[in-house]
Amino acid sequence: MSNSIIKILALDKVATVLSMIRQNGGVFGSLYKLYRQEELKDGKLVGEDSFGNKYYENPRYFYSRNRWVEYSDKFNMNYDASQVPAEWYGWLHYKTDLLPHQDPGRPKYKWMAEHTENLSGTTGQYVPYSTTRPKVEAWMPKPKTSV
Amino acid sequence: MSLAKVFSVSARVRPYGSTGMLVRYASAGQEGKVSKVYPPTSPGYKYVNAEDPDMSMREMTNRAATTLFWTELARGFAVTLAHIFKEPATINYPFEKGPLSPRFRGEHALRRYPSGEERCIACKLCEAICPAQAITIEAEERRDGSRRTTRYDIDMTKCIYCGFCQEACPVDAIVEGPNFEFSTETHEELLYNKEKLLSNGDKWESEIASNIRADHLYR
Repeated sequence: MSNSIIKILALDKVATVLSMIRQNGGVFGSLYKLYRQEELKDGKLVGEDSFGNKYYENPRYFYSRNRWVEYSDKFNMNYDASQVPAEWYGWLHYKTDLLPHQDPGRPKYKWMAEHTENLSGTTGQYVPYSTTRPKVEAWMPKPKTSV
Repeated sequence: MSLAKVFSVSARVRPYGSTGMLVRYASAGQEGKVSKVYPPTSPGYKYVNAEDPDMSMREMTNRAATTLFWTELARGFAVTLAHIFKEPATINYPFEKGPLSPRFRGEHALRRYPSGEERCIACKLCEAICPAQAITIEAEERRDGSRRTTRYDIDMTKCIYCGFCQEACPVDAIVEGPNFEFSTETHEELLYNKEKLLSNGDKWESEIASNIRADHLYR
């Protein structure tokens, strides 16, 4: 009976908000997260990648909102969608329910490179160059030697 | 009419037209023949078009009351207020991402064999099939006698992401990877060469291999 009254007055939602604030590190922590991520959510931490990005899940939210990433604090406000490495990409995009460390089929070769974010607009950006020798070479006339 | 009806938020308590249907009964005509009525009163038939307003004194007063007290306005505000507390239907993109298929065709990548040897054998089937002619390949014999590409350029601004190149490839070398977050600030950054494509493959191999395995029964 008292439970249903709480439901009718939506006090259970207030309890959810309070637990969200507690999970996100108190009032100031929650304000920082709201500033950085524009949203306050509660969920289960399912893993962390090599860059320190944390991955959360909460099935209470509907599909495509129930998995999310919180970018590492070292990125500050310079977080970018391309900072999610390939290992976590499939899980975050709902292609698989297996977390990368649970998936035995994921290859690990020694030639595999470390993930980089999209570096466009920085000094690390890709600049195209030719991988072959030019077929036509400009003629360089020999300088006149006056002997 | 009660005030609760006038200020009601719920659509269930409508100020007027409680059934929402105009009911007309077939009445016998003067000469004993049944006149045709529209709308027909057969069961299961619902008249959905605009109806003439009821002109009884009671209904007219109710309509005047709704207009006078701006109850539509109050009900509209209530709907707005309710939506503030609803869960949004949109996703918070850089943190939450939409579902994707293993067949998704994104940024291109050149793959390697598990040994680290590059797969591409410069057969140029992808170059031939590319409908946008975005691929340019030049091949040469490598020092160990194997046939390899010296140039493998894809103009990503020409590419239409049809996926014909990965379907044509006999050795699964060129694939369209899962990545779609490769937008650039300049055009020239999208003129990919062989090194860029190979490094894409090295970076995304974990996900590319998982996608191919997820889809292998349908190929």
